[in-house]
Amino acid sequence: MFTGERDVTDQTLAYSPLVDAKRVRLKRVAAVVVALAIVVVLPEILSNYWLRTFISVTALAIGSLSVSLLFAQLGMVSLAQYGLLGVGGWFALRISHGLGVPFELALLTGGVVAAAFGLVVGLPALRMRGLYLAIITLMMAGAIQVLISAFGFPDGGAGILGKSTGARIMMARPQLAATDEAYFRYAMVVLALCYGVVFLHMRGRPGRAWAMIRRSEVCALAGGVHIVAYKVWAFTLSGFLAGIAGGLLAGGVGQLDGSAFPASQSIMLFALTIVGGAYSWMGPIIAGLMLRAFPALLNDLGVDGNIATIVFGAGLLHALITAPQGIAGQLQEAAVALRKRFFGSSGAIR
Amino acid sequence: MIEIDSLTVLFGGVRGLNALTATLPEPVTGLVGPNGAGKTTLINVLSGFVRPASGSVRIDGENLDGIVLHKRAAFGIRRTFQNEQVVENLTAAGNVAAVLDNVPTGGRPRQQLIEAALGFVGVASKANVMGANLNAYERRLVEIARATVGRPRLVMMDEPGAGLSQEESEHLRSVIKSIHNYCGAQVLLVDHDVDLISATCVATLVLDFGSQIAYGPTAAVLADPKVRAAYLGIVEEGA
Repeated sequence: MFTGERDVTDQTLAYSPLVDAKRVRLKRVAAVVVALAIVVVLPEILSNYWLRTFISVTALAIGSLSVSLLFAQLGMVSLAQYGLLGVGGWFALRISHGLGVPFELALLTGGVVAAAFGLVVGLPALRMRGLYLAIITLMMAGAIQVLISAFGFPDGGAGILGKSTGARIMMARPQLAATDEAYFRYAMVVLALCYGVVFLHMRGRPGRAWAMIRRSEVCALAGGVHIVAYKVWAFTLSGFLAGIAGGLLAGGVGQLDGSAFPASQSIMLFALTIVGGAYSWMGPIIAGLMLRAFPALLNDLGVDGNIATIVFGAGLLHALITAPQGIAGQLQEAAVALRKRFFGSSGAIR
Repeated sequence: MIEIDSLTVLFGGVRGLNALTATLPEPVTGLVGPNGAGKTTLINVLSGFVRPASGSVRIDGENLDGIVLHKRAAFGIRRTFQNEQVVENLTAAGNVAAVLDNVPTGGRPRQQLIEAALGFVGVASKANVMGANLNAYERRLVEIARATVGRPRLVMMDEPGAGLSQEESEHLRSVIKSIHNYCGAQVLLVDHDVDLISATCVATLVLDFGSQIAYGPTAAVLADPKVRAAYLGIVEEGA
């Protein structure tokens, strides 16, 4: 039963699905090459307008990742995530202006404070789920909206709120990434790190515990899973990601607009995460593109960017009716179909 | 050893268990009774899902009141479900690993324990198959693997034999009979299949209306006229 060579200590790799190892390696190499090409080349060819758009896209992809983490892993709906972006942005701006700390520290502070808020948002999830959880998290997003629009974001002034009366001061970007090109690359690295954190969780103990909880709570209890701890941890981690997204957004623009974080944006973020595909790694990136790049594209073409909202509504209907795996799922299906067509083999990737 | 002392469970005004007192020392014990007799309720009390109104249960001398819910699996109380609860988006091995995360490994490598558990129930070749792609019987076996990994004291099975083919049923019997020798755990088996109970259980406890109506060696208990009347619905000729 115990053959020596199977006794590897690496638990994460040992149970990956049985697929051709060579092909997987080739795929990984290809993925790394593509990712590097995007990080190196894309910032060079984009105009200033599109650079700033793509910085926001990257930040919002992290925000969408925080939504999909809760939805795909635990089946939980949080409609407070965009509010948590605002919280993260607020504290990142405040500490950056107030203490002049390096950008990374400001970013992490935003993440940690938003994680604490995320924990509070998650507390009702210990008792309720589905529609009721959605409503209560939406109310929390509403509360955050009220606070932010009442007090505004810090912009270099004095006092606890840090509001200046004169000229607004921009948030200091990281020294390594002062230009838009460099900051876009920086943001993409942060996005990759966030994905890394989420993947480590999914493939490790928390991912298994979340899967048990999602199956059913009796199943998790019988397996000895500390349900409260793992639910709270999921919401905390999700809040942290949202906070990082907010800080990254603040660094990209240099300041944040107090009216830009209404509760309705949280609903939009959730809806587009579903449209993008919450169960796939591609989903949050697609959601980020739809949230920022699509309206920017419409503007660029001289069309009113608000038309995007109509398209999103149609997209959501489409996703709910025909594509439960979202656009990411459809892309994967299309890739399989293409491979079958051209290589004739069974192109199944799962 | 399970020691149950005047255990009472109330569901509103209904008594799920009525001052049940029993001592179950045998390695494989059957638990039978008509529908609503309190079999699943007893298992749920041991799992901690149902809080008793009064009374206590001790396992290996330890009072269960002192063990919080999520620590019971680590203490050694495991179970399978009447409706299987295999996680569909984890592999068979991942399912076992998810339980092993929370129970003592005794210092042995996790990989080895997982393979041993899957090998024990006979689904070693399915280790990397997703739960969603396992058939009904394989799922049931994966549940048993989950329940036997990492030093269990008590493995409770709620109707594991329902809806199996002849061949599967025979395999299941051999698995149930070897659990005690494999991991040292006591087995508590709830099933309506009297053949399965007689083939596997050394002793059997019969419940009716939440109370014990018989306990003893399985063959003797099943032959008891009181049991036959209550459970099998057979009235002795001439009675």
